[in-house]
Amino acid sequence: MKTISFSKGACEKILRYLDSYISGELLVETNHEVLQHLEQCPACSQEMENRVRVRNSLRNAVREEAVPVDLEQKVRRRIHDSQPARLWRMGFSLRWMSAVAALVALSAGAWIALHKQQTQNEYIATLSARLPGILQVGLRDHIHCAVFRKYPKNPPTFAQMAESMGPQYAGLVPLVKEKVSDGYRIILAHRCSFQGRNYIHMVLKGTSALVSLVITKKNSGESLANVQLAPVLQAVGVPLYRGGAEPFQVAGFETPAYLAFLISDLAEENNIQLAATLAPGVHAFLNNL
Amino acid sequence: MSKADTAEFEAAALPHLHDLFRTARRLVGDRARAEDVVQEVYLQAWKSFHRFKSGTNCRAWLFKILVNTLHHYRRKWFNVRFVKEEERTLENTVTYAPPVPEKLTDEEVLAALDQVPVEFRTVVVLADVEEFSYKEIAHMLEIPIGTVMSRLSRGRKLLRELLGGMASAYGIRKTTEEGQSA
Repeated sequence: MKTISFSKGACEKILRYLDSYISGELLVETNHEVLQHLEQCPACSQEMENRVRVRNSLRNAVREEAVPVDLEQKVRRRIHDSQPARLWRMGFSLRWMSAVAALVALSAGAWIALHKQQTQNEYIATLSARLPGILQVGLRDHIHCAVFRKYPKNPPTFAQMAESMGPQYAGLVPLVKEKVSDGYRIILAHRCSFQGRNYIHMVLKGTSALVSLVITKKNSGESLANVQLAPVLQAVGVPLYRGGAEPFQVAGFETPAYLAFLISDLAEENNIQLAATLAPGVHAFLNNL
Repeated sequence: MSKADTAEFEAAALPHLHDLFRTARRLVGDRARAEDVVQEVYLQAWKSFHRFKSGTNCRAWLFKILVNTLHHYRRKWFNVRFVKEEERTLENTVTYAPPVPEKLTDEEVLAALDQVPVEFRTVVVLADVEEFSYKEIAHMLEIPIGTVMSRLSRGRKLLRELLGGMASAYGIRKTTEEGQSA
């Protein structure tokens, strides 16, 4: 605001700035000068009172207008009604983004899993090809089920293992536990399947070895007879057959109905030795089924 | 927007409902339209609440939305072609007006106000009833402060003249028609 002085034509200037004076928009100094003039000038003072009276009358009259009683409720309803649409849009976009993210994750996961599966299967096929056909049966399940597995921190209890084996094969758990030395512990005992074949599978963990005892029912015509015999054959009374596909060693024996394999990454002699330890008991167990 | 946002908005905006309604009522002419306008103002405000800076003047913000909404509605309702008002010099106000009667009824005052062209009426109501500063009004109407001052002076003068029974002598009615429905 301009600072004004009242020298010549003071009343004209007062009238010109009277509206800003009434509105309280003048600078303090100017305000003071206007006030001084009004005190000395009845005509300007009268005009000022006239204007203030109109302003006050107007203010009172407009403020008397009553608000419709239901207007606030209508406004609230409009706000709330507009909300679901906004939320829906937001929700939709969130859902949509989630769906896309999930799809991407699923695709990536599926691709990795598929790729992993292909890789594993190729690995199994490559290694198995180095073994006589019937020994491949044991190796495939060992790699698929024992090697490519994430084990829980704590192994299942013997009761859980027995339950997983089912009543027919549950007795294998204590039998194996009794036969193996303190250097091994059973970390898995269950029934599983791979490439359409069902297995009874126990996994033992040694200090640095992973060992599988894999048992499966013979298909028609299957026999270990054509496989190279292991040197420990005579010692245990059960024919033990062997084969190797680095880094795995496979020892096998059979009953009329079952094929049994001991597969590990132990040295050949150690693997045969462990098989010789287990074979009589397991053989007898299977024969009694 | 969450329920907390709604609660925050209602707490900040709803206390100004009465002020917005009475201003809308004076600027659109009837209560039903004023109700529509006010609801629209709140809806617009709610939609742009995320742009409202907390701690700033919520009342001034709502009135700015009101002014914009009124502008939109007037064009829709009246097909108004706003005549670029010649901003007259302040000479008009540099005269002593005939005294306004000391006893005025609300009806008389409002009837006179309703005859003041809407552009002047808007500034008069915003300044004299709602007590906004020149700066705030300039921001709301997007006009210079000088224009706020001249419109306020002219609007007040017209009102005084109407109340003083001088309307016909100053051709107020003609101006009103031009301003409202060209």
